[in-house]
Amino acid sequence: MATRARTEAFRGERLLARGADEVDSRYHPAGPLRRQIDKVFPTHWSFLLGEVCIYTFIALLISGTWLAIFYDPSMAESTYEGAYAGARGVEASQAWITTVDISMEVRGGLFVRQVHHWSALLFVAAMIAHMARTFFTGAYRRPRESNWILGVVLLLSGMIEGFVGYSLPDDLLSGTGLRTGLSAIVMSIPVVGTWLHWAILGGEFPGTIIIPRLYIVHVFLLPGIILAVIGVHVALVWFQKHTQFPGPARTERNVVGVRILPTFATKAGAFLIVNVGVIAIMSGVFQINPIWKLGPYDPTKVGAGSQPDWYMGIFDGAVRLWPSWEMYLGNYTIPAIFFPVVGIGVLVALLALWPQIERLLTGDAAHHNLLQRPRDAPVRTATGMMAFFFYFWLLLACGNDIVAYTFDISLNVMTWAGRIGLLVGPPIVYAVTYRICLGLQRLDRDVLEHGIETGVVKRLPHGEFVEVHQPLAVDEQGRTRELAYQGATVPRRMNDIGAAGAPLSGGWFRPDPAAEQHPELGGDPLEVQPREDRTEQAPATAGAGRPRPDEA
Amino acid sequence: MSDQSPRPRRLWARAGTKTRRRVAGFLALGVALLAVGGLYTVFQPEPETARAQDAALVREGQSLYDNACITCHGSNLQGVVGRGPSLIGVGEASVYFQVSTGRMPLKAQGAQADRKKVEFTPQQIDAMGAYIQANGGGPVVPAEPDAALIGSDLGRGGELFRLNCAQCHNFTGRGGALSSGKFAPPLDPANPHQIYAAMLVGPGNMPTFADTQLSPEEKRDIIGYIKSVSPDSGAVNPGGNGLGGFGPVPEGIVAFFVGLAALIGISLWIGSRQ
Amino acid sequence: MSAPPESQYGDKAGTQPDSNQLHIPSDAELAEMSTDDLVRLGNRIDDIEVVSDRPRFPVPGTRAEKRAERQVAGWFILAAVMGLAFIVIFIAWPWEYVSPGQDGDLLYVLYTPLIGTTLGLSVLGVGMGIIAYSKKLLPEDLTIQQRHDGRSSEVDRRTAAARLVQTGQQSGLARRKLIFRSLGAAGGVLTAGIAVAAFGGLVKNPWKEGDDSPLLVTDWKSENGERVYLRKFDGDPEDVVLIRAGDLEPGSMETVFPFKESDRNDPEHLAEVVRSADSPVMLIRLRPNVTVIKRAGQEDFNYGSLFAYSKICSHMGCPTSLYEDQTNRILCPCHQSQFQANEYARPIFGPAARPLAQLPIAVDDQGYLYARSDFIEPVGPGFWERRSS
Repeated sequence: MATRARTEAFRGERLLARGADEVDSRYHPAGPLRRQIDKVFPTHWSFLLGEVCIYTFIALLISGTWLAIFYDPSMAESTYEGAYAGARGVEASQAWITTVDISMEVRGGLFVRQVHHWSALLFVAAMIAHMARTFFTGAYRRPRESNWILGVVLLLSGMIEGFVGYSLPDDLLSGTGLRTGLSAIVMSIPVVGTWLHWAILGGEFPGTIIIPRLYIVHVFLLPGIILAVIGVHVALVWFQKHTQFPGPARTERNVVGVRILPTFATKAGAFLIVNVGVIAIMSGVFQINPIWKLGPYDPTKVGAGSQPDWYMGIFDGAVRLWPSWEMYLGNYTIPAIFFPVVGIGVLVALLALWPQIERLLTGDAAHHNLLQRPRDAPVRTATGMMAFFFYFWLLLACGNDIVAYTFDISLNVMTWAGRIGLLVGPPIVYAVTYRICLGLQRLDRDVLEHGIETGVVKRLPHGEFVEVHQPLAVDEQGRTRELAYQGATVPRRMNDIGAAGAPLSGGWFRPDPAAEQHPELGGDPLEVQPREDRTEQAPATAGAGRPRPDEA
Repeated sequence: MSDQSPRPRRLWARAGTKTRRRVAGFLALGVALLAVGGLYTVFQPEPETARAQDAALVREGQSLYDNACITCHGSNLQGVVGRGPSLIGVGEASVYFQVSTGRMPLKAQGAQADRKKVEFTPQQIDAMGAYIQANGGGPVVPAEPDAALIGSDLGRGGELFRLNCAQCHNFTGRGGALSSGKFAPPLDPANPHQIYAAMLVGPGNMPTFADTQLSPEEKRDIIGYIKSVSPDSGAVNPGGNGLGGFGPVPEGIVAFFVGLAALIGISLWIGSRQ
Repeated sequence: MSAPPESQYGDKAGTQPDSNQLHIPSDAELAEMSTDDLVRLGNRIDDIEVVSDRPRFPVPGTRAEKRAERQVAGWFILAAVMGLAFIVIFIAWPWEYVSPGQDGDLLYVLYTPLIGTTLGLSVLGVGMGIIAYSKKLLPEDLTIQQRHDGRSSEVDRRTAAARLVQTGQQSGLARRKLIFRSLGAAGGVLTAGIAVAAFGGLVKNPWKEGDDSPLLVTDWKSENGERVYLRKFDGDPEDVVLIRAGDLEPGSMETVFPFKESDRNDPEHLAEVVRSADSPVMLIRLRPNVTVIKRAGQEDFNYGSLFAYSKICSHMGCPTSLYEDQTNRILCPCHQSQFQANEYARPIFGPAARPLAQLPIAVDDQGYLYARSDFIEPVGPGFWERRSS
């Protein structure tokens, strides 16, 4: 064992070694432990988006547990007589009263409520961002299709969990959300709608049972499911190893990055802490969901600008835009809201099946560990942008009254703009994205073929003006050698290849003495060539695009 | 802003006997409140009423009307088709609301009149109100100091606000969109008298809330509630910046453009090598 | 410690240059090895190659190193100071609710922002300090690890499959059809039984009352011919205020609820009715000279210029109550459906497809408004069994 190395100079080290032996002689974790702390993770900022999801979820679990200590999920009505003067004497459910009490009469309670709510908004937002990264880089391709589906499951459960939690305070906004988002949508389902409604709410809306039922779903059922699926999701990433972007020495068969210890673990652990810090600052600085101002739920009251939390906005936006088209079949009715909700369901199914769809379309069944840059898969990128446009357009439609009011636009115009934009926008976005991808591809290939534009214009003897290009590689005769494009970032400006040099090291006020300047140490560690026997899979020009002395 | 100026104090005397009785009731309530508070004695209405001065006021109002309003509302207050409605019977409350919020005189025809800079002094608004009131009567805002119009039963005020007002003006009076480009304005800039007047007369597309619908006490409680949640009136907000009071839409924007953006920024830092 | 099992290296041939040559030292050799040697050995076992783990500051004690150290420590000091501030503020700052305008309201309002920023900066400081430490002082790591994707080794695959096949053969289920089928039947029935037990308790018949189902009737329905009056809500559910026709000025709206004299002494029911999700009604008095179009079959539902429409939107059930008294439109704040109040509240814009249900109203001999009957159609959002005509 490593800790039983010869240099047992210190007593502390001896103690540690003994402790480690005590553990190892019982559970013998040494082998697996070494394998795990030796594990290599690729580094790219976008790979941290998934971590944001987990960390916000941890913040949710902790703050939620704290809130549950004070919250009472009861719809029993009583008169509010608490600290908040603006609601004294108002009839409200225990759920609302205890949530106001958390905000007003528990030390730090408002802060924790806001931590919980902001974390929820960030949790789903980070999932969307993480999914976008996974989609646009093609990370879901074989062998990772299952994890894509698990991700979609997580996104949906996260959305539902958020919606259910949003409903628990039983305030005027959340009750309106339950009325539309749960009651009316369930009721709109053909044949079984009313039965389902009676099963879920125990009768007519709102009844007296829905908050307690949502509570157990919110604190037990869904968090359990989410936690379990996150476990499998992360375990699969762990066992299948993370994908990586193409680059020097990176192949389909290796992972280039940092080991768990020390770099990955410190950075990931620190990022968890940073996430909590950012949430805490947000929760102190920005008020969220001031339910005491919204008042207790009452089906006869409503406020202008009633929206769900942003992640449910697509449903609300879709039912806002859907025209007044209902279907009447003899004595039966399919209400207008059923169609947009089914439409979104179909889109979610397409989303979950996307890896299979892409495989059918491209016939690509190969094993992929290297990611693609979005420009290199223009159809996928354009399809994704189209879907994102659709998504965010519906989100915007969900806030169309606020937009209309804020920017002084007619509400009716907003609705029509929403409808037309939803149909016209996606094809335009598709076409534009596709073109941009091709253009970026050409730009990269141009640089690889001719070199980087230097901005220096030269006049040739016969009078022609040419721009001097810095070749990325030259052949034996000193002529520009064309490089093949291999999916990695290509330098475009002279500074990208270090034309500007490196700054001297130093503090704010004076540079370090000349003896301490080590410009050669500031170099690029990727310049270090991997061992020969490792590189047989590597692109022919590892470090594509970087001019090297040996190529000159 | 001139919105904050106290209501003129002589108008109540000109009203009909029924109105006078009602106004006297308000006054009694106001005086009781003053006695309890002991703070507002300075603003106590002056008890003088002079008919002669009234007549002078009406004359002044008429001359102002002839200058500023006659183009759209006609020489006999009968209104002008396509420009402005008749002002007969709209009452002094309506004049007070429209002119003291700068909505009248209108600069341009539009979906609805916007609050803008007030063009007349409180005395002039009084005079115009007297002129309109003298020609057809109508609702009158109680002549009491601002403080007397702010009720104390905020719980009831809140319930009534949510039942009658919040659907257009938003949960905390931030305003909201109506059909076809119209909107319900934010309530922050309005002083208690203006809110009271608006409930009485229902300006623009706002429905009217006569005293038979919302009693004067209920109106006061509603005003009290509005002022208790309005940041402009000094009501402070626990829990940080209220994000405009518009709820989930700005909250979602902050989640993306502040929260997620900050975390992505830190990710970029972590992911960079230097 | 044993060498990793062979299956670890059972990937496609040719990609494992090290696995064949890997020499596992004896215990005695291991005891002689230095830490660096041992790490290298582990790297080879785990098939990783450390390309670079050079220290950030090869020469210790330079100014740059001290600066980096100070920066990291700066974050931790910020964290400590803010943490202390958080504890002090959390405990000592006035946190109990103060109404706006009261003494100390500003201090109270600052409580949450202060504990948020101090706690946040404290936590953030720790995290940023660790990141800075990792980036500035820990050796910069660049390691390459070989993946071992693909199928398991042929040995593992064949032996595992053989065990499964053998188990299947020994069970004899393929032969013993009776057991197989009866087990299948038992499993299926048990699953159904569990499903019935789990969800059966939830099932309720919404149509138990037939034509009196709550989906079809509201509190406006009179059970025994008793008159159902219109009452308004003034903040106190037990304070019953009935409505007279003259209470509403032209161009006004009042939310009204059903009231039966027999309920007067039932405070619970009185409170329930004003919060019911299907009975609130908008009583609207149109301005004079408004052209009215009535729906066939509802010609006498209004009382003069007073019209009573359900407040529950026919789209998704929000209280659609933004009554514009000049345009006579009723706007729903949830999804922007617009209804024309002087034309039987028919939908003129937005997603709602059906008019708001109209309540037939009349005035009794004392001038109080009452409902002549319940709505003649279901109120609120649509459902499958709703008759469309």
